[in-house]
Amino acid sequence: MIVFLFRGIFRDKSRFLFPISIVTIGVALVVALVGFMEGVFMGMIDMTANLDTGHLRLVNKPFYDEEHLRPLDRSLAAQKETLKWLEHNTNSDITWAPRIRWGALLDVPDVNGNTKSQTPVVGMALDFKSSDSFEIKRLHLVESLLKGKLPLGKNEMVIGNQLAHSLKVSLGQSVTLLGQSFDGGLVADNYTIVGFIKFGVTTMDKKMVLIDLIDAQNTFYMDDTVTDWLGYFPSSFNFTNYVDVKNKINFNLNTWIKTPPKDWAKDDIPITLSILDQQNIGSMVKTFTLIKSFVVGIFTFLMMLVLWNAGVLSGIHRYGEMGLRLAFGESHWKLIFTLGIEGLFIGILGSIVGCIIGGTFTWYLQEIGLNMGDAFSKSGLMINDVVRARLTLDGFIQGIIPGIFSSVTGTLIASLAIFKRSEANLFRELEAG
Amino acid sequence: MNNKLISFHEVSKIFKVGDENFTALRDINLEIKTGSFMSFVGPSGSGKTTLLNLIGGLDVPTSGDIFFKDIKLSSLSRNMMAKYRRENIGFIFQTYNLLPVYSVYENILLPLLLNGLKENTVRERVIDIVSKVGLLDQIKKKPSQLSGGQCQRVAIARALVKDPLLILADEPTANLDSKNSLQILELMKELNQQYKAAVVFSTHDEKVTRYIDREIGLEDGKIIFDK
Ligand SMILES: Nc1ncnc2c1ncn2[C@@H]1O[C@H](COP(=O)(O)OP(=O)(O)OP(=O)(O)O)[C@@H](O)[C@H]1O
Ligand SMILES: [Mg+2]
Repeated sequence: MIVFLFRGIFRDKSRFLFPISIVTIGVALVVALVGFMEGVFMGMIDMTANLDTGHLRLVNKPFYDEEHLRPLDRSLAAQKETLKWLEHNTNSDITWAPRIRWGALLDVPDVNGNTKSQTPVVGMALDFKSSDSFEIKRLHLVESLLKGKLPLGKNEMVIGNQLAHSLKVSLGQSVTLLGQSFDGGLVADNYTIVGFIKFGVTTMDKKMVLIDLIDAQNTFYMDDTVTDWLGYFPSSFNFTNYVDVKNKINFNLNTWIKTPPKDWAKDDIPITLSILDQQNIGSMVKTFTLIKSFVVGIFTFLMMLVLWNAGVLSGIHRYGEMGLRLAFGESHWKLIFTLGIEGLFIGILGSIVGCIIGGTFTWYLQEIGLNMGDAFSKSGLMINDVVRARLTLDGFIQGIIPGIFSSVTGTLIASLAIFKRSEANLFRELEAG
Repeated sequence: MNNKLISFHEVSKIFKVGDENFTALRDINLEIKTGSFMSFVGPSGSGKTTLLNLIGGLDVPTSGDIFFKDIKLSSLSRNMMAKYRRENIGFIFQTYNLLPVYSVYENILLPLLLNGLKENTVRERVIDIVSKVGLLDQIKKKPSQLSGGQCQRVAIARALVKDPLLILADEPTANLDSKNSLQILELMKELNQQYKAAVVFSTHDEKVTRYIDREIGLEDGKIIFDK
């Protein structure tokens, strides 16, 4: 029977093409929209994670509490021991990157050695030089280097391109960092600017200075000490995993604190945060998820409305067929069931085509990207200027499910009219032709 | 052997039209035997369609009882009534009501599929009946490619293919010219003898008389003759 009905569906273009186009368009839009939203949002999240928060972040609580002051004296010592502990006590698929967040005055001297310009900068020190370091790749530094090279020699730095512009410095310029050391003393150390970076994030382009981790440890007298351990998951992990792993690590940390490395201060309390705990990202993720469900919901609803009406139209179009089948003794339930199957089939087919179209579009946006630099430049958000969509399994599911759901429910709502149809009038109705 | 197929006991059908009651059938007593070939004749509005509706289990009487063999139709649920039609009744309509997207073959296949049979088990049966109604060379065509007489032949084959005990035809020849009408009647008669299905049809065409075993005259919802 089902095969028989499908033959009819395919031959009767009018009852086939319209609903299938609706599902196709709807699903394509949802897939593309979700892909775009995911791309923008997750791009932002990843950017933030890579530059700033990690997916997980092990930090000394006293440092974290006054983070804005960059209290290097509350950094976490025993770098090597900590790494060993992390490697033994956390998931093997997390990679840990040591970082130092520092703040200092950047002093640019003129030819006579007098201050030409001076500005406070926020800096990050990361491992540029170890052969097994993934940081250069992680931050896409090679691709982002606008001019010059990366700081691979001693006491070299790269700075954001807008910062370079406002300081009016050129490559090779020697500058002095004035800051506070691990033990609270004043430090001054000379660096050479070797490269300009375009992070693609306006706030960072204006303020960021990157130096090597070892250089920073020398400059600020913090041997074997870092401010942060940033943990990175493979992309297959989702937010729920982050929280689970975080809780597990914190649990283990509690044990470790009982026998701490001897270099730790008595009141050092290392804690692990997930990205959701930082920069208000947790609530942003919640809002984002809500908006996403809302968008998907609206599309589902609209599709359902249209398909319902399509179902009603097709019901009129197939009035004779339905009447005949009722007269021939097909039960109302069976009739509606077969219509539901037809709806399911149209939903699946439309969803597949929709996924292909929406997916292709999303894939294009993912690979090529859309330059929105002007639109975002004033927002100060950590959004990459080039927006890339993101093609995820999730995105497809969020398209397919509403596609199928709306097709089936739309058809079923429309076919409820069949129940109202009384057999007593079938003869007369069928006589009318 | 008891060859009583349908029996009516004091059956009346009253329609409510606004506040008025309209009596379409009045105290009908009637028996239809298996394998019979009979017709209801009468002017428009005399109650022919209403009567066929009741026999076919599409409607229920306002009073009185209708039996199919020993089963009281009015006691059946909506689903059981559908089953009754599905298994026992073949319908033929004045306007053929073939499904336009399906071929002759598929139109005839439909009632078998509705009865839960698989296409590959009944292919022969469909082809056989198509040849009986003389349309073997049209079997792949769509209804729109056929003449009215050919369409009604397809409808006859469709009604017969599931081997029903009873075929109900409401003015099957009304849309056909007299030559085609006679051919259709001859065909129905022939198949009635071959298949042993009772054929009950309605008409207001007096010409048909010479084909039928029994003619029941209706007027104003009452039987005025039965011969
Ligand atoms: N559902 C209904 N509601 C009200 N009146 C009805 C209904 N069905 C039939 N009638 C009335 O019952 C009477 C008998 O109708 P029926 O259709 O049985 O006549 P008929 O003999 O088939 O006529 P025709 O030759 O025109 O087809 C008519 O007067 C008709 O108006
Ligand atoms: Mg009639």
